[in-house]
Amino acid sequence: MTGFDYVGKRVLFAALTVFVAITLNFVLFRTLSGDALSALRCRQCTPQFKAYQRHELGLDKSKWVQYRMYLNDLAHGNLGKSLRSEQSVTTELWPSIKNTMPMVALGTFFSIVLGIIVGVITAWRRGTFVDRAGLYSGLGFYSMPPQWLGLLMVLFVAGALGLPTSGIKDPTLGILGDASTWDVLVDRLRHMVLPALTLGLVLYGEYALIVRSSMLETLGEDYVLTARAKGLSNWAIVWRHGLRNALLPIVTLVALSLGYVIAGTITIEYVFSYPGVGLAVVEAIDQRDYPILQGAFLLLTLSVIVFNLVADLLYFRLDPRVQT
Amino acid sequence: MSKRAPWLLALLAAVLLAAGCGGGGGTTTQAGGDTGGKVVKGGILRIGTVNYIDSFNPWNYIESQAYNGFIMLYPQLVQYDFKNGKYEIAGDLADSWETSSDGKDWTFHLKSGTKWSDGQPLTAEDVAWTINTTVKYGAGPTAVMAPALAHVKTADAPDPTTVVIHYEAPVGNALAQLEQFFVVPQHVWEQYAAGNGKGLKTYRPEKDLSTMVTGGAFTLKQYEKKGTTVFIPDPNYWGQKPSVEAVALTYYTNADSMIADLKQGNVDWVDQVPFNAVDVLKKDPKIQVNNVPGAETTNITWNSNPRKDKNRELLDPQVKKALSMCVDRDKIIEVVFNGYADKVESLPGHISLYENKNLGPLEFNCAAGNQALDDLGYTKGSDGIRVAPATKDQPEHKMAYEIVTPTSTDFNINREFELVKEGFAAAGVKVTQKVGGDSTATYAIETTDNCDAEKSVGYTGWDIAMWDWVGYVDPDAMLSYVTKAQWCSWADAGWDNPEYDALYNKQGTTIDENERAKIVQQMEQMIYDNFVYTQLVEEQYIDAHTKQWGGVEPNLNAYAKMYWTRVHKVG
Amino acid sequence: MSATANPAAVEDVQPAIESRRGLLRRELLRNPQAIIGLTILGIFVLIALLSPVLLSQDPKTKVGSVFEAPSSAHVLGTDGGGADMLALLVGGAPVSLIVGFAAAAVSALIGGAVGLLSGFFGGKTDVALMRLTDYVIVIPDVPLMIVVAALFGRSLTNIILIIGAIYWTTTARLIRAQVKSVRERVYVKRARALGAGNTRLIGRHILPQVAPLLIANTVLLVAYAIFAETFITFLGLGDPSLVSWGRLIENAFTDDAILNNAWWAIVTPGLCVTIVILGCTMTGQAMEDALNPRLRVGHLSVKRFRLRPLQGRLDSE
Repeated sequence: MTGFDYVGKRVLFAALTVFVAITLNFVLFRTLSGDALSALRCRQCTPQFKAYQRHELGLDKSKWVQYRMYLNDLAHGNLGKSLRSEQSVTTELWPSIKNTMPMVALGTFFSIVLGIIVGVITAWRRGTFVDRAGLYSGLGFYSMPPQWLGLLMVLFVAGALGLPTSGIKDPTLGILGDASTWDVLVDRLRHMVLPALTLGLVLYGEYALIVRSSMLETLGEDYVLTARAKGLSNWAIVWRHGLRNALLPIVTLVALSLGYVIAGTITIEYVFSYPGVGLAVVEAIDQRDYPILQGAFLLLTLSVIVFNLVADLLYFRLDPRVQT
Repeated sequence: MSKRAPWLLALLAAVLLAAGCGGGGGTTTQAGGDTGGKVVKGGILRIGTVNYIDSFNPWNYIESQAYNGFIMLYPQLVQYDFKNGKYEIAGDLADSWETSSDGKDWTFHLKSGTKWSDGQPLTAEDVAWTINTTVKYGAGPTAVMAPALAHVKTADAPDPTTVVIHYEAPVGNALAQLEQFFVVPQHVWEQYAAGNGKGLKTYRPEKDLSTMVTGGAFTLKQYEKKGTTVFIPDPNYWGQKPSVEAVALTYYTNADSMIADLKQGNVDWVDQVPFNAVDVLKKDPKIQVNNVPGAETTNITWNSNPRKDKNRELLDPQVKKALSMCVDRDKIIEVVFNGYADKVESLPGHISLYENKNLGPLEFNCAAGNQALDDLGYTKGSDGIRVAPATKDQPEHKMAYEIVTPTSTDFNINREFELVKEGFAAAGVKVTQKVGGDSTATYAIETTDNCDAEKSVGYTGWDIAMWDWVGYVDPDAMLSYVTKAQWCSWADAGWDNPEYDALYNKQGTTIDENERAKIVQQMEQMIYDNFVYTQLVEEQYIDAHTKQWGGVEPNLNAYAKMYWTRVHKVG
Repeated sequence: MSATANPAAVEDVQPAIESRRGLLRRELLRNPQAIIGLTILGIFVLIALLSPVLLSQDPKTKVGSVFEAPSSAHVLGTDGGGADMLALLVGGAPVSLIVGFAAAAVSALIGGAVGLLSGFFGGKTDVALMRLTDYVIVIPDVPLMIVVAALFGRSLTNIILIIGAIYWTTTARLIRAQVKSVRERVYVKRARALGAGNTRLIGRHILPQVAPLLIANTVLLVAYAIFAETFITFLGLGDPSLVSWGRLIENAFTDDAILNNAWWAIVTPGLCVTIVILGCTMTGQAMEDALNPRLRVGHLSVKRFRLRPLQGRLDSE
């Protein structure tokens, strides 16, 4: 099977999955939850007003027509309007997305860095107590519910390091005068550190394993002995032979981990009151703001599909023996 | 990619630490307190709260924090001040007032030269327009503010500083009612009054801060519903100007972080201390904790709609009373409120005028409650759950119900529910908790979708809820919440009692205080006898601030602009 | 989980003679990881089973003041309602474990069935079922659980069903691969040549060979289910009448335990969850290892925290 064929098939499959996800989204929210307008909460709304709203939202039409309208809306990038704020869903969610992405990126960065450190150390000291400790600590953190780890962070770490435990910014920064970009950056980072660290800790175990395996593979091989004999330093060996092999699996794993990252992000943001997509989802439930919930769910599902596609394509590079 | 040492991370963290640090600092200062200390002007007052502002439209809001926002941003004719341990009416926009001899016309003399935040003149025209518009659409879009103008026919502005309000009958508590009334700028809002006035309710001034026009002690500089809302002193304000340069009201989803920030000095004032945190804060020498009688009462809301279709045994006051006698309110006070609450029987609560102190009291006597239920014919089944016998309206069924709880309470309602559940279980009644969502969502469950006051449709599909009310000095507002007129609006119990409604109208137009007191107390007795609510406890109101700030008067919360304008840094 | 990680390239070259169950037992007892895992699980299952006996009253009963520190009266202190922490943990054990096992069972049932049918019949059935699996895999789990809880209400059955309905995909893949390889074995072919029907083949010959792997996988699923349950309850979407460990964590959060420095209300329930999950993971991994020692493809199994390297076993060093 040629590479081109493979790529083509994967992309096609991803596109199909996107379509299925969109349909599932529609079915879940419109059909099964009954009249979406039942979620439209307004006091003193007369029945006539509600009928008018119903007509405007197209809820008085058949499910098929609604489905077509939904697809049409999506094609135009319209995810609907929030029931509470009456802003478009995209306008409501965009700031949240902007907050979540750097935090998740930082968390992933932590997990990779920790993974590399632990992976290298355990490979270097393979078979010893250090090795077992490293592996089990990774497994241990992976087994912790992220929200619990977050709470532990707040309890024991935040105070010790003087880091804030909620929100994304200092409320008074930039009120009376403009704050410098540096100040703003530092402020954001300070608020991001704990949630990102929590995310990083629950994820690093996997990366540690990959790095360790990759190192073990190459450490035992002959050309390492040759390299040593040639006088290459330990670091060079580690990088050139060990870590470089691990790079692709790591990136692939990052893509594949999205599902778990999403789950972790939702609970971590809730613990830290971090105003990202996760918190927006939790609040949308509380407020019965179904369009937001529906929009966020769709976006998250699409992200997973896209990331999986990326992973698939990387897989192909990773192991040419993979066949569909 | 080179291997990065873990110490670098620590170093990075240290760098971040050293750099941005929240304002306010944590150094200890002396004395301060609430009445003394040298006033130091300026500074940013950082308030932490677990109540967010949901709207800046006085005709469409639910959250109490929004109401505080209105007080700061919009002119009122009058407000309350708290002097010598009592609430007294004080002027805001109005300097003085008088009534006609028949009591039907109230004339208010306004301050002159007053302006809106955009520089446009703020005159009696605006006041009259707001009054007339509220009255005109009072059955629809402006219903939320209509009770403040009950019995008002029209208002007019003979000159820019005089407003005359014409009542259809003499009203004894006009000032107290008007204290809950806000004036909005006609030149901005009248475009929304077209047609059926629907636009008045849906207009959201905060959507575009650059065009938002206010007239109060502050203007709105920044609004984040679940973040930080920033208020800046309005240079056009006619009253005592704020001492601070800005007020930053920060919403916390989690009280723990809020109190932690208070202790660390990242926030100056917490407007409502969670009950679990009071003792912790009292031990902190840097923090001043204020504890005053509160206005918020928590209750069990019984669906009192006479037309409800299921579980009609819950319309019987004797059943409700028997069940209520099994609820241990002392335990609630201890566990949920950490001791900072008191039992209450009347709906308006201890804070209100003319409170009927002869109600009940509701005893905690589960043996008697069980006996009463036995006598009424609700026998316990083999599983310990009582069975309601078949009647002409409904078949025989177990006494097992759902209790709806909102998520937006300032106390732990789950714990309170557990205690109520325990109590009811001891009476042989099983209850499960149904989480209703936030205020809007829970209200929707109670009023139900097709709510129509005229057709008496609504208030079905639920039996019991638990919630709270924030009472007021004048009992009128609270008493109105159980009238038929407030169906589908503020009413949550769905009670429909014409005799009560008649009394409500009567007390509204009774001038003589003693007479009015009698009617009010009679009404409270009716509510109690019918067990529309089982009042549980009245929370004490506790706030806390760092000792670097003074001028904090918790009694003024939601009553006056001075609540913020008098607060100052202490030197 | 990858949409395409395809164990189709797995070649299992176990000797056909040796009974898989016997192999499993031997390998497990040799493996320290398995021993620890099984011990942990054993202890907690015992506690869960004995909890009605150990508890003299409803664990939520108030027996002390709010957030009392650990003392001789209350070894692990009290929670935000004055209830004994230790009693709550013991009371929460059966709830958490039952949810975990029930949801895992649902998953295993669905996944096993899908994998079995897919692997046995091959052809169009296989393609169709695998496509279905592919679609289910990409749905992010926690958001779906949240949405279902929001739309359909929070009840125990809903939680169990939704967890079960999401996590069956890896099981399906695994079982499918196993079934395929077993199907090619000599004695199966011989049995079919002798005229054995499909049901007989599946029941008599394939299922017994596949069962141990299914069980191993189910143990791992239990870890997942318990994990998922803590997610749901923490967000306030759990069944309000149940007190599981996840619920205890949520209670601590909403009762302002951090504020009161009541670390015992936070640390202990989370520790229980973590330890049980660790136990399941260790046992399940060890079991899977014993049954599939030589996986030839570098197979990233994200949810199960395994990288099967190109040569050799991970724990054999």
